[in-house]
Formats: sequence, structure tokens, C-alpha cells
Amino acid sequence: MKRLILLLFVAVPLPALAQDAGLAEWQKIFEVFSHPRCANCHTQDDHPRWSGAHYGGARIHPFNVRRGPDGFGNTGLTCQTCHQETNAEILHGPPGAPEWHLAPAEMVWFEKSSAEICAQIKDPARNGGMNLEEVAVHVRDDALVAWGWAPGPGREPAPGSAQETFAALERWAGLGAPCPQDADE
Amino acid sequence: MFSIYGAKPYLKAHEMRLTVNGKAIRIDAEPEMPLLWALRDLAGIKGPKFGCGIAACGACTVLVDGAAVRSCVLPVGQVDGEVTTIEGIGSSEALHPVQQAWIDEQVAQCGYCQAGQIMSAVALLNEIPAPSDEEIDRAMGGNLCRCATYPRIRAAIKRASDTSAET
Repeated sequence: MKRLILLLFVAVPLPALAQDAGLAEWQKIFEVFSHPRCANCHTQDDHPRWSGAHYGGARIHPFNVRRGPDGFGNTGLTCQTCHQETNAEILHGPPGAPEWHLAPAEMVWFEKSSAEICAQIKDPARNGGMNLEEVAVHVRDDALVAWGWAPGPGREPAPGSAQETFAALERWAGLGAPCPQDADE
Repeated sequence: MFSIYGAKPYLKAHEMRLTVNGKAIRIDAEPEMPLLWALRDLAGIKGPKFGCGIAACGACTVLVDGAAVRSCVLPVGQVDGEVTTIEGIGSSEALHPVQQAWIDEQVAQCGYCQAGQIMSAVALLNEIPAPSDEEIDRAMGGNLCRCATYPRIRAAIKRASDTSAET
């Protein structure tokens, strides 16, 4: 038995096990970050997106809604002109959460691959200047992020919960925060 | 009374204090009641109009501390600031420059959306006194007009901007 265990360690080095476990944690995180409730406001261009059962595929937010100078929309038509602090309870009403706004343009998740989002999350220049612990806490505690799991009537929530995603981020970071390669996907 | 707009029948009304058009008012309303309902049905201020009920048309636009909001989706309990409706921006003796420009350009056709259009225009000009065409389009994109008076709306905003610059 001792020989078998020894053989296993020789055949599958610990770093490789950690890599696989880390990638498994990352996959949970990616499924959240790439979900429309999150990715639709992490766009590269000027426009947030709408998507869901009522809209077919993702589409550009109507009404000429744009990012504006600070991500909070344009003068006269800011995000918070329509998006209040709580969800409208009527179907098709605007969702709401405190400080409704787009993520900075450098934090692009919409239509990005797992490898691309992973690389971004680890890059302080593209994640709001945060280390991984701060990213995890942001995901757990931010009120607008929390909306992704409570998006109001007619919208599919992001998978899991804020706490589960926080825990996955912690485990992923503890396992060396491995990222998939594009060829792996 | 049951409301499809979020107010629950079991919620008790609360006394709320609002400042609307410079006047302090008290209303008894459920906190989840849309501001539009509170203004129209409780305060008797009928300028803001019901259009879609989901912040998709802009007919209900009012200002809260100078910023445009869709009063049909803003719960009255979340109002944090001074509310201004179209009744509060001018008077028949002294029209607001945007109102005068609307008349001069003969903007309105059926007129139903125009109170909301004017409030969005006022919010825009408060922040950008001389907006470009693109800035006007960005600010007014959420105010729909089924009569398609958009070219006249843009012209009126330009006229109001020029008038304000002259005075």
C-alpha cells in the first residue's frame, strides 16, 4: 500500500493536482462571471446588453443608452434615471440595485473566453487595482454584484450565490489561481 | 388596494414627506408606491404622465435634485431629494426657456409625451448648457414620441440653449 501511495505521488505530482483542482474552482467562477447577469454590463464598447428568454440572444440596450464618461450613463439619461435601488417587481420593469452602472471598459467579460477573463481577474490593471483577496471580497459584499443572484422577475439569476463564488475565489487563489489556456476550452 | 406595480395590499400606508416644486407636502403612501402614483393620485400633480409603467417611454419623467428619473418605477420611499415636475419649472406668466422654445418650435403634436420630454431636456441643459446634437440624442434617447417629433425636440433644445445663453 505504501508503495502504491508513493507511486501515485510520483505519477501525479502535487502541483498538477493543485492545478486541476484550481481549474475546477475557476470553472465555477467563470460560470458566474460569464453569465449574462454579470457579463451584460462588462462590455468593451459603449453599450450594456440585454438578454434573456424575452429577448432571444443578447442585444444592445435600447434607448441609445451609453456608458458615459464614468460608466454611470450620460447627462439626462444616466443609468439611475431608470434603474433604482430595487428591482421593479413588474415583468419587463427595470432591474435595480444601488449605484447601477457599467463596469469599467477594461474589465471586459462579455463574449470573452474563460482564459481571457481569468487573465483579466489576475491583472490589477484590468480588475480595478485589486488583489485576489480583494476581488473575492468585492464579489461577496458589493450590492450591485449581489443583484446578479437576485435579478428580479423574468430574469435567470447567476449560478450559485455570492458566498459560494467568494469561497470558490478563495480556494482558487489558494491553489495558485491557475488559468485555462484558450486551447483547453 | 392591490396594485400590479409593486405595492402589496398588506402594507400599511405611511406618512411621507416630500418636497415637490418647492413645497413641502405630506402624503399617506406605501413606500413601494411609484412616485408617479403619489404625485398624480395623492398630491394631485398631473403633469407627469403614465405611459408604459416600466421606465421604457419617459412620459413620467420628473427631476429629483435636478436629475431626470422615471417616476413610474421610483418607489416613493426611495425618493431622496427635491422633486420637480413640469408644473414647477415655470409659470404661465414666466415660462421656462425650454417651455417657450417648445412653443416657438411647435414641438408638440398629440402632446402626451411632452411633459416628460421637457423634463429630460431641462435636466440636460442644467448640466450641459450648450449640448451638441449627439449629446441631445444621448440624453433624449429614453423619451419616446409616437408622433415622431424628434427633429423639433432637438431644434427646441437648441433654441432654449441659445435663449438661456442670451439672458
